[in-house]
Amino acid sequence: MSGRGGYLLRKIGWALVTVLVVVTFNFLLFRVLPGDPAKSGMRDPRLNPAAVETLRARFGLDKEVFLDLESGGNPFDTQFTAYLGALSRGDLGTSYAFRDQEVSTLIGQALVNTLWLVLPSQFLAILLGAGLGLFAAWRRGRPLDLAALTFSLFMWSLPTFFLGIILLVAGANWFGLPTSGRITIGNDFASFWDLAWDVGRHLLLPTLTLTLVLLGEYMLIMRSSVLDVFGEDYILTARAKGLSTYRIIRHHALRNAMLPMVTLIALNLGFTVSGAIQVEAVYSWPGLGALTVNAVADRDYPVLQGAFLLIAVAVVIANLAAELIYGWLDPRVSEG
Amino acid sequence: MTALIEVTAPPALEPSRRTWRRFLQHRMGLVGAAMLLVALVVAVFAPLIAPYDPYESVRVNILDIYQKPSAAHLLGTDDGGKDVLSSLIYGARVSLVVGFAAAAIALVIGGLIGIVAGYRGGWVGSLLMRITDFFLVIPDLALQIVLVAIIGPSLGTIIVVIGALGWTTTARLVRSQTLTVRERKYVMRARAIGAGDAHILRRHILPAVLPLMLANMVLVISLAILSESTLAFLGLGDPTVISWGQMLNFAFGRGAVSAGAWWALLPPGFAIVWVVLGTTLLGTALEDALNPRLKRHHLEAPGGDVARDRPVLDIPPPALDVAAPILRVRELAVEFDSPDGPLRAVDGISFDLRRGETLGLVGESGCGKTTTVLGILRLLPPGGRIVGGQVWFDGEDLLSLDGRDLRAFRWTRLSLVFQGAMNAMNPVRTIGDQIAEAIRLHAPDTSKAEANRRAGELLERVGIGRRRANEYPHTYSGGMRQRAMIALALACEPDVIIADEPTTALDVMIQAQILELLGGIARDFGMGIILVTHDLGVVAQVCDRVVVMYGGGLAEENEAAPLFATPQHPYTQQLLLSFPDLAHPDRPLRGIPGSPPRLDAMPPGCRFAPRCPYVFDRCHVERPPEYPTAVGGRATCFLLDPDEETRR
Repeated sequence: MSGRGGYLLRKIGWALVTVLVVVTFNFLLFRVLPGDPAKSGMRDPRLNPAAVETLRARFGLDKEVFLDLESGGNPFDTQFTAYLGALSRGDLGTSYAFRDQEVSTLIGQALVNTLWLVLPSQFLAILLGAGLGLFAAWRRGRPLDLAALTFSLFMWSLPTFFLGIILLVAGANWFGLPTSGRITIGNDFASFWDLAWDVGRHLLLPTLTLTLVLLGEYMLIMRSSVLDVFGEDYILTARAKGLSTYRIIRHHALRNAMLPMVTLIALNLGFTVSGAIQVEAVYSWPGLGALTVNAVADRDYPVLQGAFLLIAVAVVIANLAAELIYGWLDPRVSEG
Repeated sequence: MTALIEVTAPPALEPSRRTWRRFLQHRMGLVGAAMLLVALVVAVFAPLIAPYDPYESVRVNILDIYQKPSAAHLLGTDDGGKDVLSSLIYGARVSLVVGFAAAAIALVIGGLIGIVAGYRGGWVGSLLMRITDFFLVIPDLALQIVLVAIIGPSLGTIIVVIGALGWTTTARLVRSQTLTVRERKYVMRARAIGAGDAHILRRHILPAVLPLMLANMVLVISLAILSESTLAFLGLGDPTVISWGQMLNFAFGRGAVSAGAWWALLPPGFAIVWVVLGTTLLGTALEDALNPRLKRHHLEAPGGDVARDRPVLDIPPPALDVAAPILRVRELAVEFDSPDGPLRAVDGISFDLRRGETLGLVGESGCGKTTTVLGILRLLPPGGRIVGGQVWFDGEDLLSLDGRDLRAFRWTRLSLVFQGAMNAMNPVRTIGDQIAEAIRLHAPDTSKAEANRRAGELLERVGIGRRRANEYPHTYSGGMRQRAMIALALACEPDVIIADEPTTALDVMIQAQILELLGGIARDFGMGIILVTHDLGVVAQVCDRVVVMYGGGLAEENEAAPLFATPQHPYTQQLLLSFPDLAHPDRPLRGIPGSPPRLDAMPPGCRFAPRCPYVFDRCHVERPPEYPTAVGGRATCFLLDPDEETRR
């Protein structure tokens, strides 16, 4: 079992390295590139040099970026370590747009809302996509397979935000569903059930949009990985043994096909994030995506930086989870 | 020896006329190309086609906003009172420019990284792949938003950002292709004769990688167009140009939904769909044409694997007594579908297998021996069909069995040891479990514990300790896997085992052990064995009788001893000459000149005629029937025609 332990450690180690790179990248991105308001404010010609110095000191910009080897003081007393220190305390700065709001509080709330949207969609899409993909692969070249392929191709070509707009118009006009936000504002809810009903109605369209977008992708992945498995020799062995098609699929094909599926779902998390950002923008769903888009419009850099960091780290962690599930499903990982 | 196992038909990765033909057969690809062409024409000739100039500044009149489609404005007007159709036509320019330019950037970055990582390998390669992995994990759109927001949205920025983040799939693709080409024989040969890296890269790697890269580029274009429209919709488009995403952003953000102005929303959305669908179709078709994945599929057999209208032979089944053959094959013919019509892989083979007998089925690769046994087992891959002949097994007509009867027959009467047992076992289930599964399937009353105990016994019988029953296939060595496969084949104590190349890919010591094991089992259990192989040494070691196949049919059949001593068919003679003879080690080995006939170019007369040293005119026009030979066998050669007049 040491092989499996090694696999675990390797994967966790790689995830940590990735997070560290993301953090550094994020730090550099907002310092090196133009547009940092702290810097641009200091270029204002009306400020006298003393005021600029005060501002620089306040934002910590008087320090070296990475390593301080010249001043003779602590070489690690730099902008980067200050950033890491603040990060470790969960301090992501203060929002420009929402006065006195901590960025960490803002993105914490947004993350919860995003998960409300992403988790059910992801679950539904994987379940339906795996089922449809399996069926399509089994019936390769038949009408159902072609219909499923056409659907996936069309979903792939349809921009997520455009599908969102179409469903929004249809849902609002024909079913009277709410089209924006998480909850009806200013309503007094008589009971918990009324509240849940209201939130559920708000969730319906965004969830449907995201599910449909992810569904096509997962179906394609499952179809091709099932087709791979159906071409393996052990399926021929199973047939030669006299197993029925149902038993072959259930006992020999499904688990093997789920293996690449897990990896590909992990690799596709970026796709999920991209879908969620667009859906949130269309339905004004107060999650991380909408927060990001609004922060761009407001030039609210601390929020943008925090939200991006959280999204990237969340994807790395979800990726790690998928790798660990893979290791648990496949007895061969101890080999490497 | 090499003459026998030389594998023909290298994978076609290099583009050729055949690639082009495959692409033309791909209707999807042609539709995609046409869709893209329409978009290109519209973009190039936008000023000529568009009824208005959308870049012209006009004073907004409140009455002009969101006007319904009319003769003056075929697609109505937008939130600024401008003609939607004109903006739509000009929008094609931005989509295509961004798509092509960003894809070009991605292609250069991804191509370079892929080639270097694949060609150099080593730490450079793994570092580059680590970087690629990193960019694969980071969510694209989030990073695009952050970068464009910080740098500032201009067309150039958007192109660079999308291109600089869109290269990961290209890099992985190019790397794996480079790795494959680098290991090819001709590249190794070039390196061996001292060709430099630059030469190999230019002459060998690039020509093999470029076509695949171009096909991939088409797909990257579709992704870039999607990204651009998404960024523009989120308010990060270049504010100075009109794009489809931006049209949607303005319409959606400025009350088109509540105004019911569907004409401002649907056209730009479907324009994006049009271009992305076109590029995706084209790209997929190009990839398919360059790298056709004719996947095997072991589950489906549409329309059944036995042709209903096959000619029925008027031959009675063998009698049901102990002396009669257990398996009788008569005039078996198998065809495979191909784009140019059916190809006949097996053309009228006949032979018997007696109880307890070991029969060798011998021939070069592609002579139809594996197809013959798969046909007997009714396990032909999709596209393969039995189109003639009869197969009797112990009085039962195998070709008329179906569904439940066929499944019940399998493994209990006739089981199979596969070619290359490496993949014949399911990698995620234990060996013991897979043996027990067969036992319980055919004897459902057996308890789980009893089945497991029997599986352990069987593993012990083939020389693997029962302790290892709970291990997975990957922990077994190649020889052990082959033993485990034999244990699996014994699970239901069948009457006949068919072993398809059971010792190929094993080293000589293990080969001998496996053959000994098979021989011992045949004796102990009284089983009949059909041993399919190209290795005459193996046949000489264990077989009682030998059937030599050539070009899908019988060449010669005889008891093993006379066949090796006095081969009658010229092919058998040549085959024996190309094998080392332990009794005459100083005899020079001779390969057979030429190669076996291709299925789509069978000689009209005798299949062996083009390679036969004794060939005469008749061989080229007429197919020789089976003649009895003087040494007790039968062979298909006009030299054996008793009528001397016709022997020329």
